[in-house]
Amino acid sequence: MKYFRILLLLLVFPLVSATSAHKFYVSITKVEYVKEKKSIQIIAKIFIDDIEDALQQRYDASISLDTKKETKAADEDVENYILSKLKINVNGKPVKLSYIGKEYDTDMLVAYIEVTNIPELNTIEIENKILFEMFPEQQNIIHLKTAESRKSLILEKDEPSGTLRFN
Amino acid sequence: MRLLNSLLFTMLFLFAGVVSAQDETESQKREPGHYNTNRFKQLYEEFSTPNMFRTASGAPGPNYYQQQADYVMDIELDDKNKKLTGFETITYTNNSPDKLEFLWVQLDQNKRAKDSKSPLIEPSSAVPADMAGSFVENYMGNPFDGGFNILEIKDAKGNPLKHTINQTMMRVEMPKDLMPGEKFVFSIKWWYNINDHVVDRARSGYETFNDGNRGYVIAQFYPRMAVYNDVEGWQNSQFWGRDEFALPFGNFEVNITVPGDHILDATGELQNRKDIFSKDMMNRYEAAQKSFDKPVIIVTQAEAEAASKGFSTAKKTWKFKAENVRDYAFATSRRYIWDMMAVKMGNRSVMAVSLYPPEGNPLWEDWSTRAVASTLKTYSRMTFDYPYSKAISVNAKNQGMEYPMICWNYGRPDEDGTISERTKYGMMSVIIHEVGHNYFPMIVNSDERQWTWMDEGLNTFTQYVAEQDFGETYPDAIAPNKNYPSRRGPANKIVDYMAGDQSQLAPIMTKGLNTYNFGANAYAKPATALNILRETIMGRELFDYAFKTYANRWMFKHPTPEDFFRTMEDASAVDLDWYWREWFYTTDYVDIGVKDVKKFFITSKMNKEVKEMIASRGISESDLPPLVYLVEEGSEDFDESMRSSKLEDIQTLNEYIMDNVPAEERAKLKRPKYFYEVTFDKPGGIPMPIIAKYTYSDGTSEKVTYPAEIWRKNDDAVGKVVASEKEITKIEVDPDEETADIDTSNNTWPKRKQLGAFEQFKSKSVAD
Repeated sequence: MKYFRILLLLLVFPLVSATSAHKFYVSITKVEYVKEKKSIQIIAKIFIDDIEDALQQRYDASISLDTKKETKAADEDVENYILSKLKINVNGKPVKLSYIGKEYDTDMLVAYIEVTNIPELNTIEIENKILFEMFPEQQNIIHLKTAESRKSLILEKDEPSGTLRFN
Repeated sequence: MRLLNSLLFTMLFLFAGVVSAQDETESQKREPGHYNTNRFKQLYEEFSTPNMFRTASGAPGPNYYQQQADYVMDIELDDKNKKLTGFETITYTNNSPDKLEFLWVQLDQNKRAKDSKSPLIEPSSAVPADMAGSFVENYMGNPFDGGFNILEIKDAKGNPLKHTINQTMMRVEMPKDLMPGEKFVFSIKWWYNINDHVVDRARSGYETFNDGNRGYVIAQFYPRMAVYNDVEGWQNSQFWGRDEFALPFGNFEVNITVPGDHILDATGELQNRKDIFSKDMMNRYEAAQKSFDKPVIIVTQAEAEAASKGFSTAKKTWKFKAENVRDYAFATSRRYIWDMMAVKMGNRSVMAVSLYPPEGNPLWEDWSTRAVASTLKTYSRMTFDYPYSKAISVNAKNQGMEYPMICWNYGRPDEDGTISERTKYGMMSVIIHEVGHNYFPMIVNSDERQWTWMDEGLNTFTQYVAEQDFGETYPDAIAPNKNYPSRRGPANKIVDYMAGDQSQLAPIMTKGLNTYNFGANAYAKPATALNILRETIMGRELFDYAFKTYANRWMFKHPTPEDFFRTMEDASAVDLDWYWREWFYTTDYVDIGVKDVKKFFITSKMNKEVKEMIASRGISESDLPPLVYLVEEGSEDFDESMRSSKLEDIQTLNEYIMDNVPAEERAKLKRPKYFYEVTFDKPGGIPMPIIAKYTYSDGTSEKVTYPAEIWRKNDDAVGKVVASEKEITKIEVDPDEETADIDTSNNTWPKRKQLGAFEQFKSKSVAD
């Protein structure tokens, strides 16, 4: 409950002091289309403490990530949470995301997700609502890469999805 | 020999002439002229002209001055009503050559006044659910008023002074102009309601512990003089809450009255230790002053817990003096544990100190004071011996903030006692960072209001060095890691930010308040830029000397960005204008790759290109000096036998060597067999050294660094001929990820399908 209160107050007071902790709410998702494998490879980097807060409020207050207390159930919660917040349409049709797994890098959770059987990529629509329910200033940045081009999207609460066209 | 060279050169020039003549006829439209847009152009337009205040070498000039503000203050904390009251006398000395008509005083607490404009400049959006409390605060008027109540402002004779408050700045009018060299003495009486810093996410305020006691970390709590200098005039840019402070140096005498059961520490030297300390505390303090390897507890956890059960109505006044500090802060609570150890600093010793509630243990008693001591050692090595008598780390919930000699740091075990890696490293890093701020900006006193990066960037860079040192000093603290896992500093950690959307990036040279991504912009990017400068561009020896020179030149003074940029060049003879421009004045990024590799073989047979050239000029073969020809693999002139050709087979070369190279030196000549023309390209803007790793067929490899200046005449692509005795099988650019190259897919030849991060993880998880 206390956590909940602090978090909501955070929404009201985004100002912070000169901590060396991260003071910006941002996730970075790299999306790469690998034509020869007909695969869209996704790597999402999310601050551990932010996603931990989201999971605690959503599923279980005792969830603890990247500690000895991390449980198998928490691992599944991470998967469920990410898959519920990330939606992709390819060439106008929704596609199935396969969650490969996750690892930790210092203060970031790094999740690996794949979309298979994509012989051609003409358009891709990405909706990434991760942590939008937690922090109004959350930005989810998407970097998309194909053999020919690189494009970026900045997704925010008011505009949680974006479309990129090729050809 | 000279003849040969000149002829060859002539030929090359002729060759070039033919090519460009062709180009001209092909392109019909004449290109317009342009300004000098060379990336290696000197920063004459960006930098101001040096003057008598600040020299071209980046040092304080002969007329450099700075103002002084001395304070005598009586402060009283009302713990019951959470109020702070003060009476201060300021002696302001005008060392400038200018006449001052008025003074500007900073009223930072007005950020929390009812009519504060700070919330008004933050865009907001509707949240789906809001706590009742914050709803009231947001939409029904905030009942809490945390602004200053100024009761009186008087001159030394007791006459009231006319003053005007504009948000967080107060203009004080003097009876007459303050002339150069003159002093003005005036006093201010004030009080304000102390805010809950946990709720406010503020730097100063109190937190309430579970037992109802409060811990106060109090800062920017008194009306403070603004800076007047040769660069800004009065730095009276408003305090909106995020960008920090600009403050003059001065001497402080501060008496702080708190409940009798509080433990307090503050900026400066305690004057009445004998009245305040119990006999036990005095004995322990004397032991701590001789303990250089581990902290000595001055107030134990049991004592703090016992004190926490009471609420003394008696008062105690703690008396401090501080010399040559730019600011003042203190922390006080009956719930504090206190420990200290001594640190050798040249032929002096200084104290590393920690104040923390039992909630911080066991983490804090183990590591806080040790981290303070280790930080002082590293920073002193990188800059100057720590000149103050102590450095205090205070445990405060959720924040890290720095003041002279004292700072607030977060990090507590979970309620069940678990200490996650994140908590542990978060706590150690924030202590190293905030204690490090004693150097930047408390002593090397840059203007934080304008240039956040000057203290945060330099400090985060030095923090990285200190973290690595800490890991070496205390391997047990970081096991099983071999190196301290620093979040900021290594080049590859800034790549995601620099590869980001350009509309969301600001150059480092941007006022802190106006950056999009504060953490990356003001902390991580400048820290990484300096780390790359140290490790890759300048080398540690040149960098460290110059960095130290900057710190010593501007110790207890007010430097600007140019003073830093100029000193780094002045003390190293490395022209860094291009580096400052690209990394600090633009949002450009690094991307260098291997575009193409052509393989050549040597022959004495004249190739087609030369034949055509001499024919077109009517030169016969016999007129030519002895030449060695290079033939590209697969070209018209190439035949398979050339693969096995040796230098000895080239008669012209042999003759030349016999005639020109003394016998004893001939054996020392290299005998290359393979010739490669490597084309490096630069899709990114920033010119960086090309660090090329050549791997040979026998498995050995060699790293060659071509300085960034290789790009000075061609910003897109440059060629380099590599002559080798062994066949090259692989070329890799920036193999150790030291330049923050945002795209490494073009970094290798031959273009090998490198297993990306995704494939690596996938194959690993399938194997599991």
